[in-house]
Amino acid sequence: MSFWTSIVHVLLRVGAMAAKEAAHIRRDPQTLAMALVMPVGLLLLFGYGVTFDLEHLPIVMVDQDHTAVSRGVVRNFAASRELIVSSELESVAAGESLMRNCQAVAIVVIPEHFSRKLARGEKAEMQLIVDGADASTATQTINKADAITNSAVPIPAATPVAGVARLIVDTWTLYNPAGRSALLVVPGLIALILAMVCVLLTALTVAREWERGSMEQLFTTPIRRGELILGKLLPYIALGCMAVLLVLAVGAWVFEVPIRGSLPALATASLLFLIGMLAQGLFVSVATKNQMVATEIGTMTSLLPIQLLAGFVFPVANMPKPLQVIAQIMPATHFIASLRGILLRGNGFAEQWPHMLALLAFAFVMVLVSSAKFRRRLD
Amino acid sequence: MLPRWLIQLYSVALKEIRHTVRDKRMVAILVIAPALQLGLFGLAVDFDVDRVPTVIVDHDRTEASRQHVRQVLADGTLVRRMTTDKVDDALHAIDSGDIAVALVIAAGFERDLARGRVAHLQVIVDGTDPNRGSIAAASVARYARAQTRLSVQQMLRNQRTTTRIGPVLDTTTTPIASAPFPDVVLLPRVLHNPRLKTSMYMVPGITALLLLVVTVVVTAMGLARERETGTLEQVMVTPMSTIVLLVGKLLPYVFIGLFDFLLAMVVATCLFDVPIRGPLSVAFIGTTAYVLCTLGIGLLIATVSRTQQQAFIGGLLFMMPALLLSGVMTPLWGIPDWLLPLTRINPVRYYVEIVRGVLLRGSTLQDLGVHIAILFAIGVTVLVFAAWRFKRSLA
Repeated sequence: MSFWTSIVHVLLRVGAMAAKEAAHIRRDPQTLAMALVMPVGLLLLFGYGVTFDLEHLPIVMVDQDHTAVSRGVVRNFAASRELIVSSELESVAAGESLMRNCQAVAIVVIPEHFSRKLARGEKAEMQLIVDGADASTATQTINKADAITNSAVPIPAATPVAGVARLIVDTWTLYNPAGRSALLVVPGLIALILAMVCVLLTALTVAREWERGSMEQLFTTPIRRGELILGKLLPYIALGCMAVLLVLAVGAWVFEVPIRGSLPALATASLLFLIGMLAQGLFVSVATKNQMVATEIGTMTSLLPIQLLAGFVFPVANMPKPLQVIAQIMPATHFIASLRGILLRGNGFAEQWPHMLALLAFAFVMVLVSSAKFRRRLD
Repeated sequence: MLPRWLIQLYSVALKEIRHTVRDKRMVAILVIAPALQLGLFGLAVDFDVDRVPTVIVDHDRTEASRQHVRQVLADGTLVRRMTTDKVDDALHAIDSGDIAVALVIAAGFERDLARGRVAHLQVIVDGTDPNRGSIAAASVARYARAQTRLSVQQMLRNQRTTTRIGPVLDTTTTPIASAPFPDVVLLPRVLHNPRLKTSMYMVPGITALLLLVVTVVVTAMGLARERETGTLEQVMVTPMSTIVLLVGKLLPYVFIGLFDFLLAMVVATCLFDVPIRGPLSVAFIGTTAYVLCTLGIGLLIATVSRTQQQAFIGGLLFMMPALLLSGVMTPLWGIPDWLLPLTRINPVRYYVEIVRGVLLRGSTLQDLGVHIAILFAIGVTVLVFAAWRFKRSLA
């Protein structure tokens, strides 16, 4: 009898705490907006805005040959959709100055005697001067210009030539045949949004209680530490879950992001990540007790690293070894990897258990550390 | 005797600095953390796609197939991690995420090549990362193109064709196969960053990002805190004008921003060998203009938020899209047209172009004058608007 009453009391206290926190959220529509509207807005922006296929790259043509053939080359470049001939100049130097103020990404130089060499059946060289200041643009520009040049050459690989052995590549792209960036971005975005809701909001709300002194008031109530933490985090867990569902729904609806894998695995990974990030936010706020410091530290330990270190866009495998170790410690790395597996590759627990284990370990350690820190501060 | 406003300005600025410096953690966050993070993230970002884990499924098992596999792998984009006979095994490896590419060679590959037929190389790509997938596929395709080109040229050489056809580049009128291989070669020369290193252009980008995080959030939250705790009202009853108050509050952050930029440049040149080819003074002017923009936006956010939490959310609402539409993470050339107007009013974008220009392209004030002017215009507009709102919201 007394066991059950104590259980009921625990639940009542946790519930009261959660209700108090939920009231905070309700009364602050901006927080709600951040948790629910911003993820969708970000998803739309990222889904449409992040693209690896560049178009309309402005190039400068420098035709020093001035013949019908070289005009043909210029026309060939002008006809492409991917490159735009923004201007035709006489000298390379003029083109480089356009490059310096970002109005051109490359210069194509057709040297003198170009057509004469071609007429003799020799190898005629054109030069492509690329601005390497943005390496990914440069790489694509080189590939595109190369393809255009190839298509203008009388022996393109695609035309059938009788009796010549040819190698043809059949490419079969799995999971994301159209190469849509939304499919790459959505898993990372879910991690980013969850981290934002969890680390930053908990950091802020708990730090606010310290800052304003209302934490002491809470300590005078019969609520226990564990109950206080749980009650404070519950509304945010709910908010985080809603945000995940919303992002998945919009992702599926607008960008046709599939959920090919196991739903229980998806839920488990999300929940483990959620708990880990909430505990991290709690730890930051307990350690700093100051909203501004907590926010900055939260941003620097979750928001930025998730975008740059966790394999959101930049692959972890390319990083130097010590950073890979850091990336492996971060729960976001494992969460993003397992989300990709579950959503796109149709994985379940069988393939993703190592990542889940890592998430579990992080959540466990963080909960331990933050409650230890919390307890010490209480005395 | 100094004019009164100058003394007021000095005392507000001093108060702000003391306020910030008193919390040692804040000093660390404002000054040390950005440099540290630049080092960390600069090392982390690497877009180069190489060493893509590949499984080889060779059903032909001939000398020719083995040789072609070797040559496909030769450029280092793909790396053999597994060899199997069953396509199913390869697919399963891709499913689990251990392997990203499967190179499948059907039986009869060598025979087809020997008989002058079309031989197929099948590439199965994990498209989860479209960038990696397309580069991996492109490397095989490039190899195949080169091979075909080679064999065509060889055939033409053997034929010793006597027909001479003017190498008109218009392919529609030229009988293709009979041309004596007049070949056009495009020789790429990469300026500014010849090895196409990611860190070269990401370091300026990350610098912009860190300045953004430090200045916007701190201004917005700092003012919101003063409002929360009620100290703002106390300052307002002093005989100081709002303008002096605001300038005094923001001035220290301009210097913090410039100092952070200087530190970032030290990290960039020492750790990442980023050159400084243009005049650094232009970058400094650009940084001043940029910090004016970010501080103005922080101030604007502060005027619309009542609590620190709201101020932070406002900061995020600005920072996330501003980052995305800045060209730091992905180039702006692929962005759809309807998003372009947003990039034109984005201070981060102009600042990134200025820093990249000065450091890598050796741009001068003449090249970047328009950028800097736009940045100043944005900064002044936002600041004036924010100051007006600030004054009104207090009155």
